[in-house]
Amino acid sequence: MSIVRAAEVVVLLCTVYIALGLAFAPFFVWRGVGRIDPAARSAGFGFRLIILPGVAALWPVLLRRWLAGRRPPSERNAHRDAAASRAGQASA
Amino acid sequence: MSAEYQAVLWNRNKKLYDLTIAAGVVVFLGLFVGIGVATRTQATIETLLIRGFGAGALLLLHVVLAIGPLCRLDPRFLPLLYNRRHLGVCTFLLALAHGGFSILQFHGLGVLNPLVSVLASNGNYDSLSQFPFQALGLLALVILFLLAATSHDFWLANLTAPVWKSLHMVVYVAYGLILAHVALGSLQAPERPTALAVLLGIGFAGIASLHLVAGWRERAPAPDAAAGHSAVDVCAVSDIPLDRARIFLLADERVAVFRYRAEGGERIAAVSNVCQHQNGPLGEGRVVDGCITCPWHGYQYRPEDGCSPPPFTETIPTFSVRVERDRVLVDPRPNPPGTHAEPARLGTASGAGEPS
Ligand code: HEM
Ligand code: FES
Repeated sequence: MSIVRAAEVVVLLCTVYIALGLAFAPFFVWRGVGRIDPAARSAGFGFRLIILPGVAALWPVLLRRWLAGRRPPSERNAHRDAAASRAGQASA
Repeated sequence: MSAEYQAVLWNRNKKLYDLTIAAGVVVFLGLFVGIGVATRTQATIETLLIRGFGAGALLLLHVVLAIGPLCRLDPRFLPLLYNRRHLGVCTFLLALAHGGFSILQFHGLGVLNPLVSVLASNGNYDSLSQFPFQALGLLALVILFLLAATSHDFWLANLTAPVWKSLHMVVYVAYGLILAHVALGSLQAPERPTALAVLLGIGFAGIASLHLVAGWRERAPAPDAAAGHSAVDVCAVSDIPLDRARIFLLADERVAVFRYRAEGGERIAAVSNVCQHQNGPLGEGRVVDGCITCPWHGYQYRPEDGCSPPPFTETIPTFSVRVERDRVLVDPRPNPPGTHAEPARLGTASGAGEPS
């Protein structure tokens, strides 16, 4: 495959992906975002606009969360994980 | 506690910060083009602007990457951190202007789709010195876009902190790609001044050494067995400013060790540095009314048990501390969020340190 051909395929795939994201994003920022995150339920137009580009780029993640109707994931970090595993050992 | 998302959390200081960025960008571009016109008459304004946008983005990226380690080395740099995301977004916008105008100017007029042309007009993917530097720039631009687009707190909460942090670490990949983009770009255009290559080397050396020094200073000291149950000697009492904290890396995450005024004298307590709200750096906040107060949105936690005062219910992990001969000893094993760990009282010989 020539380099031009390969580049055309890459650009075409990216275009399709972004087009789907751009079609999805307005619906998500209008309705979906409040479903997956209560802190966004009555957020203003500016907030919705500012997350729109990211939604168009990461749309598969958000579509999955919206369909599953999940809340924002609970906080995780190294200290919480370590404390939880310590507590688990102590009770075992 | 709860806080609705807002588009941008602006206050007076952040507005000042953003105005400074904007003014800095305008002055830089003005100087860049002005000096270019005065000294190199054959370059068109368009070319100078393209180069100016690129150089401006590169300069801002250095500032963005330097802020983190500078703040870890000296808290006086902290004001730069509060709005670093806006610097990042501005870096992306400059890079976008540079990349966009480059594509229009160099790739917009042919028969090929301009993006295909960026990727394919130079096909030397198997050569090191002739490698198509524009493709590296394009990839870096995509990364900068993803970082700018996910800089709002909404993304931190919804992608989760570990994912968000890993995503934003990719800025170092973008930095590497951009270094290669600029180095190869000037290599392939021999008339470009060598000053650029020299500046690039200085910038890279500066960023790399700042990170190394800050990492070295923050490394966890080896647990001191003699001090009893693997407590880590982190610093002297006087190293911690009153009603503020110093931050250390223990158990793979930062720990904030606070010295604060309380009834009956000063105390020392240690908590996980990560705010439960949106991962704000608690160790960069102050103790206000007896509570550790997050510098980002003001969530509060009691130093002795990591609980938000009622009616709030947030909790963070605590660490057991002792003071011996004016040294602060921290047990590196985090206690479960909200566990009481008796603060060390200063003035007495030592504080008991076991969770109760
Ligand atoms: C689509 C993406 C990009 C394209 C097509 C592109 C294209 C170019 C071109 C053609 C040049 C040579 C300009 C000249 O010598 O007249 C150049 C130089 C440069 N680019 Fe990019 N670039 C892209 C992305 C980036 C990004 C993301 C950055 C970094 C933040 C960047 C920073 C620079 C710098 C600093 C120079 C040297 C400017 C100078 O000579 O003073 N570029 N780029
Ligand atoms: S991150 Fe929002 S208050 Fe701490």
